[in-house]
Amino acid sequence: MLSCEDPVSVNLKDAPPVLVVDAWINDKAEVQKVFLSQTQPFFEAEIPPAITGATVTLSSSRGEVFSFVEEEVPGEYRWNPNANGNPINEIGVDYQLTINVNDETYQAVSSINRVPEIDSIKFTFEEERSPFQPEGFYGEFVSTDPVGVGDSYWIRTYKNGVYQNSPFDLTIAFDAGFSQGGAVDGVVFIQPLQDSVNPLNEDRDEIVPYAPGDSLFVEILSITNDAFFFLQEVQIQTQRDGGFDEIFAEPLENVPSNILNLDENSTNRAIGYFCMSAVSGRGRRLVE
Amino acid sequence: MERVFPLWKSLIVFVFCLLSLNHFSLGQQKFTLNGYVKDEANGEALIGATVLVKELGTGTATNVYGFYSITLGPGVYTLEYSYLGFDVESRSVSVESNQRLDIELTAGGTELQEVVITAEAEDENVTSVDMSTNKLDVKTIQKIPAFLGEVDVLRSIQLLPGVSSVGEGSSGFNVRGGSVGQNLVLLDDAPVYNSSHLFGFFSVFNPDAVKDIKLIKGGMPANYGGRLSSILDVRMKEGNSKDLEVSGGVGTVFSRLAVQGPIKKDKASFLVAGRRSYVDILARPFIDDATLYFYDLTTKVNYDLNDKNKLFLSGYFGRDVFRFDEEQGFDWGSITGTLRWNHLFNDRLFSNFAFFVSTYDYGFSFGENDLDKFDWSSRILTYTFKPSFNYFINNNNELLIGGEAILYDFKPAEAQGVSDGVVTDISLDEKYSLETAIYVANTQKLSSRTTLKYGLRLSGFQFMGPGNIYEYRPVEPGRRQELVEESTFQADQWEVVESYYNLEPRFSIRQQVGKGSVKASYTRTSQYIHLVSNTSASTPIDLWTPSSNNIEPQISDQFGIGYFKNFGKGNAIEASVEAYYRDNKNQVEFVKGADLFLNEFLEGDLISGDGRAYGLEFSVKKNSGKLNGWVSYTLGRSELQVEGINRGEWYPTRFDQTHNLKIFGSYNLSARTSFSGNFTYISGAPVTAPTSRFTQQGLVVPFDFYDSRNDFRVPATHRLDLSLTIQMKREKRGKERKNKDELVISLYNVYGRRNPFSIFFSQADGTPMPGAPVETQASRFSIVGAPVPSISYNFKF
Repeated sequence: MLSCEDPVSVNLKDAPPVLVVDAWINDKAEVQKVFLSQTQPFFEAEIPPAITGATVTLSSSRGEVFSFVEEEVPGEYRWNPNANGNPINEIGVDYQLTINVNDETYQAVSSINRVPEIDSIKFTFEEERSPFQPEGFYGEFVSTDPVGVGDSYWIRTYKNGVYQNSPFDLTIAFDAGFSQGGAVDGVVFIQPLQDSVNPLNEDRDEIVPYAPGDSLFVEILSITNDAFFFLQEVQIQTQRDGGFDEIFAEPLENVPSNILNLDENSTNRAIGYFCMSAVSGRGRRLVE
Repeated sequence: MERVFPLWKSLIVFVFCLLSLNHFSLGQQKFTLNGYVKDEANGEALIGATVLVKELGTGTATNVYGFYSITLGPGVYTLEYSYLGFDVESRSVSVESNQRLDIELTAGGTELQEVVITAEAEDENVTSVDMSTNKLDVKTIQKIPAFLGEVDVLRSIQLLPGVSSVGEGSSGFNVRGGSVGQNLVLLDDAPVYNSSHLFGFFSVFNPDAVKDIKLIKGGMPANYGGRLSSILDVRMKEGNSKDLEVSGGVGTVFSRLAVQGPIKKDKASFLVAGRRSYVDILARPFIDDATLYFYDLTTKVNYDLNDKNKLFLSGYFGRDVFRFDEEQGFDWGSITGTLRWNHLFNDRLFSNFAFFVSTYDYGFSFGENDLDKFDWSSRILTYTFKPSFNYFINNNNELLIGGEAILYDFKPAEAQGVSDGVVTDISLDEKYSLETAIYVANTQKLSSRTTLKYGLRLSGFQFMGPGNIYEYRPVEPGRRQELVEESTFQADQWEVVESYYNLEPRFSIRQQVGKGSVKASYTRTSQYIHLVSNTSASTPIDLWTPSSNNIEPQISDQFGIGYFKNFGKGNAIEASVEAYYRDNKNQVEFVKGADLFLNEFLEGDLISGDGRAYGLEFSVKKNSGKLNGWVSYTLGRSELQVEGINRGEWYPTRFDQTHNLKIFGSYNLSARTSFSGNFTYISGAPVTAPTSRFTQQGLVVPFDFYDSRNDFRVPATHRLDLSLTIQMKREKRGKERKNKDELVISLYNVYGRRNPFSIFFSQADGTPMPGAPVETQASRFSIVGAPVPSISYNFKF
């Protein structure tokens, strides 16, 4: 190989920390969490510094108020639907997240949108097709986007119970296609999306097919269109595989945020995202 | 449409005026001497050959078709015809009436001997009014050490001052701080919309078929337009009209074969040249086991109908194919076709009518079978009609007038997805537009010391239906614009949705100062179609899109001044220094997170801003002698200012290169062996770097606190390449061999420098462990990170 890739050490500019909100809340009957932290220097491979002592409140357009409380993990604010008895599960309801920290108030809004059921999970045995598609069982899910333009989804894969969370596993859909401009509406999700449930190996250079005994669980989360655009930019910024992909790589750019500081004159800002989701899921174990 | 025709009407009227004017002007005291200047060996027309009238000390040069016309009073004159590398031909002519004088020049001895050339020919860079213009002949290009031993036109022009590229692996080239899409690349007059093979390692121009290359960086004549930065005018050979000639080569990466010869001796000839790369070698830099190859075919036929009429038909067809497996892959390619008719209306009015078709397309296929697949392709198709008239008024004035009409058909995406047998068509509407221009330009010699070239180009553009027309409104600077729903409408076929007109003045002056000359120029250019790419480097999937109700045409004003002087015996050393400043309007940029593909609302993601570029170019060139070559150095700056990007402040473009130094030298070791080398040094390219990172649902995202663009420089690029050319023995057992052949041994990137294509910031490989910290890193990607030796064999018989 003529080309080569090697790690380099680079001196980056110093920058002050910024509040980071990581608030992705869904209608599942399990503990919902909001994470508050700070940005850290780019090369600092540590758990991000937590922001403790904040007040985190979620309120709905129906007048409900959910208080997220920091328990034993610093910076992790929790709300347990099973203990509190009023789950967050109404499609079409708007929500507002309010965070009070260091005498400043940040707010963001989102809503829960519809999500289609997953009709089935399939495994198909394939011969080796290419160097990155070796022989083995490939999974796919079958689900149909409801008619009406403007649905957005996050498709998550759990292989043998482990959530697949490398940047290349991040799969999002606008209606049944890749993007808003594509206009694929009200049909079964396009093939590359159905195929997205086959994770790559550690080196990201080939798919690891499913083997008998493996399980696959797929979740579809409805997300807002703004959250879709946010995740689309997260994809661009994090799916940096190097090599040949660099030729097609887009420049580094800050991703957007929907968290606003209510004090417009304040120099403090927050980044990150708040999004509400409805979730559907289906799983299957591969048996021979 | 009705607004388009007045442009053409005025052109037609103007030409008729010229035709009638000819009978009255100048009385009967003067006569015209005209004809073609050709190469004696193969009948190829010589472009820019000098015709000098010894007694008067004035002269002219042949146009791109090798035609000249000169006006003289009655008398006996000595005419000297000269062309670089050819023997001077002197003719004594008694002028009593209009005369046709076609001349054939003989190449000056063998290529490797020192060529004696007349001072007039060599002095051209001082005496010509043209500035910011570089010519390269194929013989020079063939001496430049090349990647994998294959000489290439586009890689060679990158050794000229003011020309660069973002690096190995990027398509196209940048001129004076302009983007790749701001270059008008012409192959026999037909525009080429993507000039690269194999991600820029090679270009679509087959050196076996190329005759002449001219790059115009500033002071553009009014007969060229449509792009802001530069014109690369590549002229193909006509084909040997004397003898059948077969040439070709076998190299490390591809094989070439060209056949040319007379169809009817001295009257009609043809040329067919093809190339095909080998499958395996080229994919390796990218993906193991994948296949990547290209092929192309360049053809030309020309026919001299009679003294007054010539017909040319030329074409190019080429494709690059990148396959992951049998069903999945990616391919792209161009097709151009040109039909030209040269007609002499009278002794002094030369005309050319050209019609050409040019298309570029690319396509992707994914999926496993017919029930589950995804196919997507995109294309630009244009039809152009271009009449031009070259009127040799007298020895001091040469008038160019003409027009151009280009009909564009853009197909942004034809896409079809099949999932479990359910077919979904997600193709986007085609877009149509018409670009027209008329121009007039005159080159006027005020005295032997002062020459002016002035012209005016009037260009127009219509964005037309059919199709859905959208309008957008900005929401937040630098972010996606919002669709104005109520303004959406369906345009009918040919319905003009938006029109633009621009007046483009062009002006150049040359003033002799001592032995050198000072030249200055002003050029306004406008560009109506835009090459849209949000990748760091230009790629085969960059998309052409027209100006519309949302996107305004790009406009550029360029000012240049330069000093030109020759030194040494027979003016062997040409030197020049030029300064330029460009002010650009409506430069296309993208919103953050722009979605350029399969996007019906693409224009909502395009925003515009101002650009500026300025620089100093130094060039010293030695054309003859055992050691020849050049040194070129450019000090430059190229910047953009767009609301919502980089806090609204000026930022450097990706191809901003402070220092750009190129040295090329060739030394003739013996009559049969020559040794060449070139060295390149380019300042590090600007990229955007993060300051910080943050975590979102377990993913680590880079963050730049200062929200800046391109404020970080990757390390500088530098490289040395060498090559040795050995001509095989010309005799065999005392007899001269009919065929000529040579071996070229080359070493690219001699000291194996890992020049960065990019520095990128990413999360370390693998699925992160829940709760464990995630590692982030910076990586350098080099496309060619080692020395690359190669050997190739070229032949001609």
